[in-house]
Order: sequence, then structure tokens, then C-alpha cells
Amino acid sequence: MVAIQLEAEPFEPLHALAEWHQLLAAELGMLPAAESHFVGRVRPSDANDAPLTALELEHYPGMTEACIASLAAAAAGRHGATAVLVRHRIGLVLPGDAIVLVAVAADRRGPAQRCGQELLEALKHDAPFWKREWSQEVGRWIMGNTPL
Amino acid sequence: MAVSADPPSQVQVRLFAGLREAMGWSEQLVELAPAADATPHQLWRQLGLQPAHPPAGVRVAINQQFATWDASLAAGDELAFLPPISGG
Repeated sequence: MVAIQLEAEPFEPLHALAEWHQLLAAELGMLPAAESHFVGRVRPSDANDAPLTALELEHYPGMTEACIASLAAAAAGRHGATAVLVRHRIGLVLPGDAIVLVAVAADRRGPAQRCGQELLEALKHDAPFWKREWSQEVGRWIMGNTPL
Repeated sequence: MAVSADPPSQVQVRLFAGLREAMGWSEQLVELAPAADATPHQLWRQLGLQPAHPPAGVRVAINQQFATWDASLAAGDELAFLPPISGG
């Protein structure tokens, strides 16, 4: 089971997880034994350590959603995970706000954690998103990703 | 006798993020040269995208799927040039 959602407005990861749990319980009868969760948030400073006003996330409508779904299904299949949830912000995101939530449910902690880690890295490198840091009314496109 | 016109040999080209802003346009229809084996690399040059040789990290997608720079383009395709991805 793969659930994907792009969020144009701020979202609360714990509420998103609660909604997902309801969906899983309805589909599976009960929740799987193991879950891994990752929440990524916007840092308060940019790459030059200047205060960050906001982070802008651009995407490729259609392709981005399809890529996330494909990456999630592939990772779940490789690790034998039961279900995957991905919620990802688009648009302007403020410091401290959640950018991404990745949750994986599986029978055991190993598959849940490994699948989550692999999927997160795949999202960073193979899902078409572009980040622009806004600081002091100047925008700067980020080329690549922060270190693991 | 009805004469059917050939369908237009056009490709929709899209740019994103820093590449879009550097070039000053986000999408345009591009006519494919007759009998030419058009590829993303060829269209990059034809459109005068900069730098002349596509930088490492820029990827292409055809019809919203990642593709190679030497993939064949067909009329009606959507070609996107994607700057280095920074998601998650």
C-alpha cells in the first residue's frame, strides 16, 4: 500500500500519521508490528549561515507524484514492507515547518527502517523537486542535497 | 477527395527552476526538423540553452519519464530539461 500526497500548505506530521493509521487499520484489520518515521524540517539558516526567510519547493506536476509512487512501491517491494506513506511540501515552506514525512510499516523493524532510509535517499535524488533558499529577499537555487 | 494534413511535428519543451529563470521561458512548442532524428541533446543545442554542453547533473524527461540525452523524440512528445534535483 502506497499513499502519496503533495502538500501546498503546512501539514502536521503527527496528524498525517494518525490519518494513515486509520487507513491502515481499515485496510489491514490491525496495524503492522513495526513502523519507521522520518520528518524533515526547514533549517533556520541558509547554506551561508544567513537567516533563512523561507524555502521554496518547485516540482514537476504529474511526474513528481508518479516518481514518488514508483520509488515507494519499488522500495517497499525490495524490503518486503507492508505500507508506505510519503507527504511532501511544495511552495513556500517556513523555517521549522515540515518538508517531508516518510513512514514505513512492516512486520519487523529492519525492513521498516531500511525501506525508509532507502526511500528518503531516493526521494532526494530521483524525485523532481527543486529547492530555492530565500534570505534577505534574495533567492538562490540549491544544486544538490545536504550530506547524509 | 479528402486530403489529410500531416500532423504537426512538434515537441513541447519545458524548463524548470534555475534553468527556466536563466533562459527566461518555461515552455514552448518546438518544430522538429523533417527527417531528422531529434534527441534531447540536439534540442538543447537548437534552443540555444546554456551552457552549450549540458552540465553534469541536468537530466531529461520525455513524457514525464527520465530518459537519456540520445533518446529519440517523436511528434507530440513532452521534453523536459531538469536541473539537479534537490528533494526531500
